[in-house]
Amino acid sequence: MTLSVGSVLRVGVPLLLAVVLQLSVLSQITIVGAQVDLVVLVVAAVAYYGGSVAGCATGFAAGFLLDLATGATMGASSLVLTAVGYGVGRLREIRHPSHGLLPIPVGAAATAGWVVAFAAVSFMLDVGARVSPLVLRDMIVTVLLNALLALPVFVGCRRLLRRSLVVDPFEIRRRRQPPREAGPLGLRGIEV
Amino acid sequence: MYDKKVVRRRRAALAVFLALSIVILTAYFGESGGGFFHALQRGAQETFAPIETGASRALKPVQDFFDWAGDSIDAKDQNEQLREEVERLRSELAEAQTRERDSRQVRGLVGLHRQAGFPDGTEPVTARVIARSPNVWYSSLKIDKGSGDGIRLNQPVIAAANNPSDRGPVGGLAGKVTRVTGGTAEVTLLTDASSGVAAQIMPAGAAGVAKPEVGNPRDLLLDFVEGGRRVTEGTMVVTSGFKASRVESLFPRGIPIGEVTKVDLDEVELYQRVHIRPFADFRRIDIVQVLTRKPRAAETADVLTP
Repeated sequence: MTLSVGSVLRVGVPLLLAVVLQLSVLSQITIVGAQVDLVVLVVAAVAYYGGSVAGCATGFAAGFLLDLATGATMGASSLVLTAVGYGVGRLREIRHPSHGLLPIPVGAAATAGWVVAFAAVSFMLDVGARVSPLVLRDMIVTVLLNALLALPVFVGCRRLLRRSLVVDPFEIRRRRQPPREAGPLGLRGIEV
Repeated sequence: MYDKKVVRRRRAALAVFLALSIVILTAYFGESGGGFFHALQRGAQETFAPIETGASRALKPVQDFFDWAGDSIDAKDQNEQLREEVERLRSELAEAQTRERDSRQVRGLVGLHRQAGFPDGTEPVTARVIARSPNVWYSSLKIDKGSGDGIRLNQPVIAAANNPSDRGPVGGLAGKVTRVTGGTAEVTLLTDASSGVAAQIMPAGAAGVAKPEVGNPRDLLLDFVEGGRRVTEGTMVVTSGFKASRVESLFPRGIPIGEVTKVDLDEVELYQRVHIRPFADFRRIDIVQVLTRKPRAAETADVLTP
């Protein structure tokens, strides 16, 4: 991903919108006891298309914004989302995935990483109370809800980021496909 | 495969952002409430407040739709008879149910004040929830009233029950104000991992400290109740409100917290652990009341929140 004012705006504005939307609407909608987590999906989408550097920068910024807006311990969300963004970015760089449905497992894995790592960080920091097993249920439901929401979020982010991308996984996929008119030998026009 | 420069840059970026996060985390824990990062948070919250209020209002229909869906599942039996009408009037019904829910919460809060034993001398300020913490580890709400409306730090906050029973109170203690700006305030709920309140079982009088069980908002734990005290299920738990010589107390005596559901008896332990079902419905709070005027000092209670 190229670094320019345009690319920073293309990441920053949706990120800010995601944080506001998360806090003012999505956190107030409970489905089977849990909520959708849009912020981690946006971080994962940016990392997936932009790579590990863009991923960890976006993760840091998202965590910083989230902690500022919620009044939670500053730095905790940044720490975890930086790692999540880097992890997703590295996955893209190492494996070069291009399947159209891959955002679903990537979104689910990123969410799982986020909820588990954030729980671990919270434990290490200042949780003195007993923890109910229902936390696990909430985590699993959040992962499933985010898996459902991942595809539209990733598609939206890709459209926004397209101009700033050095490599677009979907373009790679398109180039890999054989020509439509090719015969069994792979040569256009020879149908034997 | 990769240029060494690219690899170095990638690793440097990760190291810089992780180090920055840890530095912020350490500084945040190290500084006092008036430090740089706390001030930055307050400033950001004041900046975010109008945006959040606007977004919350603009997207209320979306939230109403999900609320309507939840209410519909709860009232499935009744809805069977009204299915055709619901289909025709879906949008109208969503709006009506949301209003009804809001008014029920307000009625519940008013009823709570009229209840015998509720602390006198408090001036309730009704506020609407505009934002909510997205995870279970930090259970907090942001409300649309702030210092301009008379709200101050550490004031108790009450909320209505979602389905008030005939015999129990129609709501109860929800938390306390932990941050205030001109037009908004942050409420840390009783279900927050850091919360705790001195409580008393009525009418037996056994006292203890009510703490949350993280991730389970329908269960609070009353710890440090003397082993010899007899505690029966179904009895009410209220804020105990006592004054020690050097402790500045926060919650007035007599605010209902919940009812006893289970008692863990362990003969080895000196204390028994009592499970409480809170009267306030922490999952679905839309409207709260902040008890703004502090009662007489003799009617106050201790809060163990750090």
